[in-house]
Amino acid sequence: MKVPPIVSCAVAAAAILLAPLAQAHHSNSAFYVTKVITIKGVVKEFKWTNPHVWVIVTVDDGKGNKVDWKAEGRPPGILARAGWTPKILQPGETVTIDLSPAKDDTASGLIARVTKEDGTILANAPPPTE
Amino acid sequence: MKALLIALSVTGAMYAQAPPDFSGVYYPVNPFGRFTGGPAAGAATSTPKGPPPRPTASAPLSDGSRGRAPDAPSLTPEYMAKWEMISKTRIAGSSEYDLTAKCLPPGMPGMMSMAYGMEVMQNKDKITFFSELNDALRRVYLDGRKPSQKVLDDPTYAGYSTGHWEGGTLLVDTVALRDNTFIEGFTPHSDAMTVHERIRLKEPGLLEDQITVTDPKALTKPWETVKTYRKAKPGTGTDELREFACAEGLGEAK
Repeated sequence: MKVPPIVSCAVAAAAILLAPLAQAHHSNSAFYVTKVITIKGVVKEFKWTNPHVWVIVTVDDGKGNKVDWKAEGRPPGILARAGWTPKILQPGETVTIDLSPAKDDTASGLIARVTKEDGTILANAPPPTE
Repeated sequence: MKALLIALSVTGAMYAQAPPDFSGVYYPVNPFGRFTGGPAAGAATSTPKGPPPRPTASAPLSDGSRGRAPDAPSLTPEYMAKWEMISKTRIAGSSEYDLTAKCLPPGMPGMMSMAYGMEVMQNKDKITFFSELNDALRRVYLDGRKPSQKVLDDPTYAGYSTGHWEGGTLLVDTVALRDNTFIEGFTPHSDAMTVHERIRLKEPGLLEDQITVTDPKALTKPWETVKTYRKAKPGTGTDELREFACAEGLGEAK
């Protein structure tokens, strides 16, 4: 499993601690949408909220450090039509998330898809309308 | 006998002119254009053989870093400079000029992209278009009223729309629009923008909106685009839109 390099966990952790509790609602321009990285971790929290859902995932960086990644998803209305439910992700379960990293270099990104441990894939949109 | 023929003729004309019923929930056909690794790239439905391909994108690129599309509205130098300025902020990662990121309505005509789904409610005197994105709506009055001076002096995001039927096509004119919304993407416009639409059922279940945007200050020529929407089938679980309640997430970062 490819895990994005974390140059300095101390820096990353500091960035998370210092990040203001704002920016809850991003436009796509906040992310490198045409770049996708993969993280694997344990779900800490799943928030089924408008305008975006959030999956907080604790990721082990392989160096003994744990970093909480904030994965931002599309709205519940869209995701429900793609097979998601309000309880589809539970704290404690392991997930793999393909996401586009944020431009501000924080441990956050825009979800492309989530893969549960049993292989179930949660896409970020229903199949396109023909 | 003559009276009967006239009566039959009038009745026939009434049937011929009965407007179609656009009511229903719709989803846009190809709302984002085509881009590699689109939103449904990881859809489980596309995986009959082996694992699905890893997505290469999470959303369409929307910061202008690849320039303007060939079919984008043709802007005057003043408004092209505005577009370039906004593009720079978006490339830098800012949502400053993104109204919907602030939970504001997308406004006309951008809202007719209806990226998250649309519900049409129709009666004889009014047709209402509801957008799941930001719970935005617009009303089109069909009862012959015209925008008053009071309306013209009070621009709104959706503007003021009046329409009438020509056969099976609904012709709509929209005025009194705010100047801080976008025509499409983040293409700016002036307070002189007006929108004309021809809306019809192209085939059963497929609604088409031919949109013409006129803005003598911002556009070098009127801009035309066509949106199509597929009606959701009952019993599929998709013929109901969900509440958006955008403000629910404002101010939360967790």
